[in-house]
This record gives sequence, structure tokens and C-alpha cells, in this order.
Amino acid sequence: MSLLSKIRETVLCLKAGRVTLPYPAEPRPVPPRFRGRPIFDAAKCIGCAGCANNCPAREILVHDVCQELRIIQYLGRRCTFCGRCADVCPEKAVTMSHDFETATNAIADLSQRLELFMSTCQRCGRCFPEPSPLERLKLKGYRFDDVASERWIFHSKGYLDAESTVADIRIDLD
Amino acid sequence: MAAREKLGFLRQRFGSAIVRADLTSDRRLYVFVEPRSVKEVCRALFRELDARYVITIGADDRPWSGCFMVAHNFAFDRDRLLVSVMCLLPADSPRIESISDVVPAANWAEREMRDLVGIEAVGHPYPKRLVLPDGWPDGLHPLRKDVEWDEAPDCDDSGTGYDFDDPPEGCTVVPFGPFHPTLDEPAHFRLYVEGEIVRGCEYRGFMVHRGIEKLAESVLGYNDIPIMAERICGICGCVHNVAYAQSVEEAVALRPPPRAEYIRTIMLELERLHSHLLWVGLACHIVGFDTLFMQAFRVREPVMWIAEKISGNRKTYGLCVIGGVRWDITPELSDELKTVLDKLESEWHSVARAVKNDRNIQRRTRGVGVADAKVVKEMGLIGPVARAAGVDIDCRRDHPYAAYDRVGFRVITAQSADVWGRLVVRTDEVFESIGIIRQCLARLEPGPIQTPIKEDLPAGRFGLSSVEAPRGESHHFVITGENNRPRRWRVRAPTYQNLQGVPSMIRDAQLADMTIALGSIDPCFSCTDRIEAVDVRYGSVKVWTPRELREMAKRPQSGRDIKDS
Amino acid sequence: MVMSWFWATIGCIFNAALVLVLAPLFEGILRKVTARVQSRKGPPLLQSYYDLFKLLGKEDIESGEAPWAQRFAAWLSMGVVLAAVCFVPMGFRAPLGGAGDALVLIYLLMLGGLCTLMAGLAAGSAYSLLGMSREMMLMITLEPLFAVAMIVGAVHANSLRLDAVLGGAVYEGRFGVSGLLMLAVSMASFQALVQRVPFDIPEAETEIMEGPLSEYSGPKLALFKWARMAKLVVYAALFVALFVPWGSGLPFPVGWVLFWCKMLVLVLVVTLVAATHARYRVDQAVRYFGGMLVIAVFALILATYGY
Repeated sequence: MSLLSKIRETVLCLKAGRVTLPYPAEPRPVPPRFRGRPIFDAAKCIGCAGCANNCPAREILVHDVCQELRIIQYLGRRCTFCGRCADVCPEKAVTMSHDFETATNAIADLSQRLELFMSTCQRCGRCFPEPSPLERLKLKGYRFDDVASERWIFHSKGYLDAESTVADIRIDLD
Repeated sequence: MAAREKLGFLRQRFGSAIVRADLTSDRRLYVFVEPRSVKEVCRALFRELDARYVITIGADDRPWSGCFMVAHNFAFDRDRLLVSVMCLLPADSPRIESISDVVPAANWAEREMRDLVGIEAVGHPYPKRLVLPDGWPDGLHPLRKDVEWDEAPDCDDSGTGYDFDDPPEGCTVVPFGPFHPTLDEPAHFRLYVEGEIVRGCEYRGFMVHRGIEKLAESVLGYNDIPIMAERICGICGCVHNVAYAQSVEEAVALRPPPRAEYIRTIMLELERLHSHLLWVGLACHIVGFDTLFMQAFRVREPVMWIAEKISGNRKTYGLCVIGGVRWDITPELSDELKTVLDKLESEWHSVARAVKNDRNIQRRTRGVGVADAKVVKEMGLIGPVARAAGVDIDCRRDHPYAAYDRVGFRVITAQSADVWGRLVVRTDEVFESIGIIRQCLARLEPGPIQTPIKEDLPAGRFGLSSVEAPRGESHHFVITGENNRPRRWRVRAPTYQNLQGVPSMIRDAQLADMTIALGSIDPCFSCTDRIEAVDVRYGSVKVWTPRELREMAKRPQSGRDIKDS
Repeated sequence: MVMSWFWATIGCIFNAALVLVLAPLFEGILRKVTARVQSRKGPPLLQSYYDLFKLLGKEDIESGEAPWAQRFAAWLSMGVVLAAVCFVPMGFRAPLGGAGDALVLIYLLMLGGLCTLMAGLAAGSAYSLLGMSREMMLMITLEPLFAVAMIVGAVHANSLRLDAVLGGAVYEGRFGVSGLLMLAVSMASFQALVQRVPFDIPEAETEIMEGPLSEYSGPKLALFKWARMAKLVVYAALFVALFVPWGSGLPFPVGWVLFWCKMLVLVLVVTLVAATHARYRVDQAVRYFGGMLVIAVFALILATYGY
């Protein structure tokens, strides 16, 4: 047995002292850039739906109830806290909070719902500045997600009734 | 020059069978070959020019060219060249001659191509189902374009079990996995054991397919995929993230700014640091040495914290977008990172010295799980497994990406080809990684971290990217497409090749060495099983009862196992 | 006569109770020290008691190939340890020290290994059978070592009576070569006798998933675990009685405390060795013990010639 090596290992181990943290008992502070649960600020949001179009998990739904009222709903079920919504938001209405202990028995606790009064452009129906070319790639008209049953409707399978959509906005069914 | 030389060789040798060749740069060669000559071209590349086999890709190209497409990728590591041998197959008979008898490493990739795209590899030596679950209907190939991304066939596999091979004579079957304390993810090895000696095994994996490639081709956008790509693997996520971004950037000829390249390099090396430290810990745990496991994790923890400070997360950094990175390294973070590295270096020195002099660990690892240079070549093994066998390959040096061509480092190799060699290689690579990060921090020049994209990304271009993950080369292949998403994205994780080497590593070894031999490739089943959203269920658990053992003692030839509900 | 039977019974019960009560505490100390070596805080000192209580309160599930054999194995493993306790001095004279000879003790402790075999056979799964075969291989090489240690003592003492063998007879008053050799051999194989790393091969969690115990749960598992903890105490007491007898003859509180302090030191050594070693493979272990056995037999020969 390599006794010397064993003794060296033991000394090495004991020298370090206790390093485990009493985590659940005491909260551990997180660094400033930490990405926790995104928080949507209805006061800043202009309803451009860039977050919804860029969400890799497709967890942000957009539904226009009528010309003047847009609902943006964040579900938070599959959200991976990647922070893309905060990246692309032109108004910084989405911030990544430091809140990561989000375990809950009621999944609805995680969702956030924004009801936005929109003043639309009379000519094109849009109401936000021209996005960057890369983002423009994805903005094929507005999304009309099924907010009631909390599901995202795939672009190429948009099976919404014509009646439930606003007439002067072209739905892109590619 | 290398690309033209190889092309010249192929032209001279095969003449008109070479239909077309694209040289997008001196480091990439796409050769379109007549289907009937593909096997011979691969033989020439693999046997005569001594190329390393990377992966085989099948794609459904019918909406665009009306054909199916097959690409066999090879790497010339000395010449910094990646070659893709491509061919188009008619839509009505997607069949191609198998190359698995010439290139044994292509075994899995061809079976996967058959399962997912429905391109038959004619003459495959072992044409068993690899990826799809037992009850999946024949003839439904999920990666074909006419299959919806959320297609859920009636998958009744209650009556059908996977058709395992018969064990060799005189061997009992020991099921290893899907759940086992040393397997962090599900995979099933059916070990044929004689006493305590493993005589062979059969692998059935791909139990955690998540449909990532299909999602990328049908639902996500270019910039959504990096976030998804890094979730292919919990350990080397950043590698997949960078590899994907680089393959798209290469396809559309977009170069990220230098600062972004340095930041990518730093994060990749941080990931290698934490992965190697984790592996040393896990290897110690597997051989029952929990103290060193804890110490390795203690030394590793500051690396996780600094990654969290830079990217906002301990893992899944969310680093790349097409054309750059999302997180900048401020001067304060840079200073902090340097302090972390200094501390890590001194602590790892003492741990490494203790480990390397430990005869007790050497007894459990020397001569165990041997994969020599021949196996490495035949099965296309990569990473520390190859380097421990004296095969000097490392994508960071051989196919430089990000900022690796601007930093200096040694490629660590060992000659023993066993678990001990892999341990030494990984332990020493930690110091090289620390050196690389220091150089990057010193050269980090101010500037933008993202290249703005002015135009739509062009469709129908090819991109290849090899990134040296902690476990070996991660290879991504992308065909760009319309609607802001790729047409085909194929991920070849290092474990995909390395797992194919495991049967030869554990043959005629002690059963007790099975876990450490498997652990030594640092298997990552989630990387390997990424493709289709299915759930494999086993029809039965097979165990030997004492009664059968007694029967078997009387009749040693009965290699039959029974079902135990 | 009646009185001596009475005192022997009381002594047996006292010894058994002492071991049963103190064994989890020793385990707790072991776990705490291990945690410290591993830079962790570690579980509370009394955690092993909580674990046992929890397991004992659980549902008793019948599983495996032969549930009755499984239950029997669990009871037997506990029973063997409790029986052995009666022959081992725990700071006092062994209560049944005069009743049996060294061979009884050797057989009793061997029976403990047989319990593991029976448990493995009863579970009947591939892993438990593997654990069983490993236990068998270890037993074949390990048990003679322990027997030889006892017999060296017996040769020196010229008697197989336990009270004669225990109490430092191995050194025969002076430091005989054979006694020192046996001390070294016993030290080197002590980890295996108490089933700790690096020789916990039959149960290797990361290889064969606790082997024979993989089918156990609830109260039966508690019995096995408790027996294992008690085994540590019993073997430590035996080791102290055989090889480190000095001071045990002192008057009551001093000798008694000294005895348990020696046990504690031994347990600490076991812990440190377990925490700094990787598990050996069964073939390596067998080869290792084979070598030890050669030395032990050599020591026995020396002992018969009076060295």
C-alpha cells in the first residue's frame, strides 16, 4: 500500500475543512447576472410579441382578442430561463429576476398574463418599431395562440377560425 | 492545398464517378459521388489515405432536389481537413451500399439512418433496429419531411420485445441498466458473463430521445436552436451550442467578431475544466473511492460559480447566437476568473500528485478497459480515449475554431490505452485548459461581441463544425434552409462513437471492471440519444433464478433466459 | 451453580444490549469522521439510530425467490452476532468465556458470512447471485486468517478455552515473532472482516448494487444493517482482546473506559482507511488474502515452535 500517498491524501482532505453550504436553511446569494424567472412589466410592454417569437420553449402566447386588446401570456411551465425574451425586448419590459425556487403545486402560479391596450397603426396594423433584420425573419405577422387552453399554435398549422381573428391583419399560414 | 490534393487523388482514381466537388475553403471538401462508387471512395479515404471516420448522415432532400441524400464524413486530422462524401439517391428507392464492412465505425450511423430517414444500407453486417422503440411501426421514418414533428403513431409494444441475440454458450446474462447506480442515464447493456468474466455484450440504448433534431428542422428558428442544442447534454452543453452556431456561421460565411471568438474559447475551456474535474470525481466514485470524489467536486465548485457569474447559470450558459455571443466578460469578471484559475491550479496540482502516486487507484485502472490504437482507428474513437492510446488527435489543434489558432497548448497523450491512461490525460489537460484561458484573457481585445445579420440567411448551404468536447469531438452538420431554420441538422456527440468501442474494451474483462471501463469514456447517453421523441419500454426483465442456475449447472449449453414478469 | 448460570445470563443480556445500543453510535461516529475527511458536514451523530427506526417501521415486503429464506437470513445474521457477543469480552470478562472454546467463536463468525450467502440465494437476482459468489470467494480466503489468529493464541496459551486465548496470549507474555506477525496480518485484513471499503466487494454499490442486499427492504434490511454495525463492534472488541489487552486488567472504571477507548481508536483507523481507499476487485482481494494466509500459516508454524 502506498502509505505515504494515502497520508498525503488525508492531509489534503482535512486541510480543506468543511465546504458544504447549509443551503436550504440559509439562502445563497446569486450573482448579478443570474438568470431566474423572467418578470414581465405590463407598464413597459408595447405588445410587439418579439419575446413570443423568440422563445425557444414556445412558452409565451399572444392572442388578439380584438383590434384594441392584446393578451400576452407567459406560462412558465417548460421555461428554461434562457433569457432570450429579455434579450430581444426593445423596451426592456422583460427582466430576468433572481428568483429560482419556483416549485409549486399549482402550475398556474408560474404564469403571468399581460392585457395590453394597443393603439395600432391605421395603415398596417403594426405598432412597434421595425425589428432588426434577424428578428424580422421570424415575424410573419402576429401570432394567434390558443390562450384559453394555453397552447401554442404552430405557424404552419394555424387552424384558427377566420371569425375569431381580426379581419385586417393577414395571418401568415406558411 | 490539402483539399485539392485529396480531390485530385479521388478524381484520378474514380474519374467520372466524382460528380461534383465543393471546396468552400481549404479546410472543407464536399464531394458528390455516384451512389455505386460511394463504398469504394470511402474505402480509399479510410484505408489508403488513412482518414478518420466521423459520421454518416442521411437526409430527406425530396422537397428540393427530389432525392434522398447520404453523406459520409471523414476527417484528415494532420491536414486540417474535413471531407464529406455525398450522394443523392432516387426518391423511390433510397438504398445505398453499406460501408460498415469497410469502415466498422459506421455501424451505428447506418442503422440510425435506416431507422430515422429510411435509407437502407444494403449489406449491413448487423441490421438491427438501433434508435426506434420496439413497437414503432415499420416504414414510418420520423426524420422524413412528410412526417409531422408531433406525429404520434399507435405505438403498441406490449406484445413485442426487443429481439436480443442469444448469449454465447456457457454464459449467463447479467442485465446492466437501464437503471444502475453508476449509470446516470438509462442505457441497457446485456452482459454475457462467465463466472466473473464478461465474454461479450449487446447494447440497447436510445431511451431518452427528445426529438431535438426534428424540432430544429420543423419548429425552431436559427437562434432558438442554440438554446435547445446546449440541452442535448448536461455536461458539455456549451460545446453543442458553439458547434451548432459555428456550423451555421460556416454555412452562411459569417464570422463572429474576435472578442466573441475569445469568449467562446474561454467558456469552452471552463466547461472542459469542470467536466474533467467531474469525471475524475466520478471515476473515483465508481471504484469506491468517495473521498477523492468529494475532493474533486470541492475543487470544481469555484469553476461553476465563475461560470454562473459570467453567464448567469452554472451550466447551460446560453452562450451563442448566430454571429456572436450573448455574455461579455467585463474586466472585473476577468480578474475574478484569474484568481479562480490560480487557486484551481495549485489545488489541482496537489490532488493530481496524490492521485498519480496512488498505487491503490492504479491497481483498479491499469490494464482495464483497453482500447488500443487499432480499435481507435476501426471504431472511430476520439477524445481522451484515443489520446490515451497514443493517437494524437485533438480538434482544437487539428481543426481550429473559435480562437484556438491564436493560443498555444500541448495535446496530452498517453501510451497505456487503458483507464489509467485516460485518467492521466484528463488530469493533465486541466492544466492546459487553465493555460488557454489565461492566454485568452490576456488577448481579449475590446470590440463588439455580435456580428449583426443584415440579410436573410441563404438556404441550401452546407456547414460542418467539429468542436473538441471534454469527451472527444462533437461534430455538427447543418444544411441551411428556408423559414429561418435549417433543413437538416445532425449532431454526432463523442459518446456516439466511443460507446461503440465499449464492447471490445470489456471483452474478457472482470465484471467489476465493467463500470469503470464504461465510465472511462465518460458516457453521455443524452448526447447520444437525442433524436426522436419516443419512449422505449422493455417487455421484460431477465434474471436467473436459482432453479435455472441449477439446471444450467447440469446442462451448461442452455443459454436461454426466461421472462420474469 | 445456579448463581453462576444466573450471572452468565445477565452478562449475556448486558453484553448484547450494550452492543446493540452502542453499535449505531459507532456507525454515527464513523459517518461523521468520513464526512469530515470528505469536507462535508455529515449527518447528525444519531443518524444511524434514526435510519434503523425508520427501516424498522416500514412495511415488511416479501420479495425474491424464497421469502422465508430471506427472512431467516436476516434473523440469523442478527442472531449470530448476538451469540458471538456472549463469547467476547466487552471490557469485562466474557460472560460465556468459559463455556465455549475458540472454535465455537470461529464457527459462529463464519456463520455470519453464510447469512450473506443465504440472502443472495434467496433474492435470486443476477446481482445478488454475483454478490453471493464474491462473498464465497472472500470467505474462503478470509475466514482461515481469523481462525489462524485465534489458534496462534491457543497454541501459546496451550488451551482452546476462550478466556485463555483472549487476553494477550498471542504474545505469550513477551513479544513473540508469531504474535507480531499475526497482529500485522489481522490489521491488514480487518477492513474485510468488518465489510468496509476497500473490501466491501460483495456489496459494492457501484458495481453490483449492494449485491445480496439488493432485494432487502424495511425491517429485514434494518436487521442486516444493525448486524453489520454490531459486527464492527464485536470484531473491534475481539481485536482489542486478542492483540491489545494491556490495561484491561485495571480496576473497574479505568479498565472499562480504556477498553472502549481502544475500540474507538480502532474504529477511527477503520474509517480513515475506508475513506482513503478505492475498492479492490475480487481477484485482487483474493490474491491479497492469499498472501496474508501464507504469512499467517508461517506465524502458526513459528508459534508451534514457541517463537
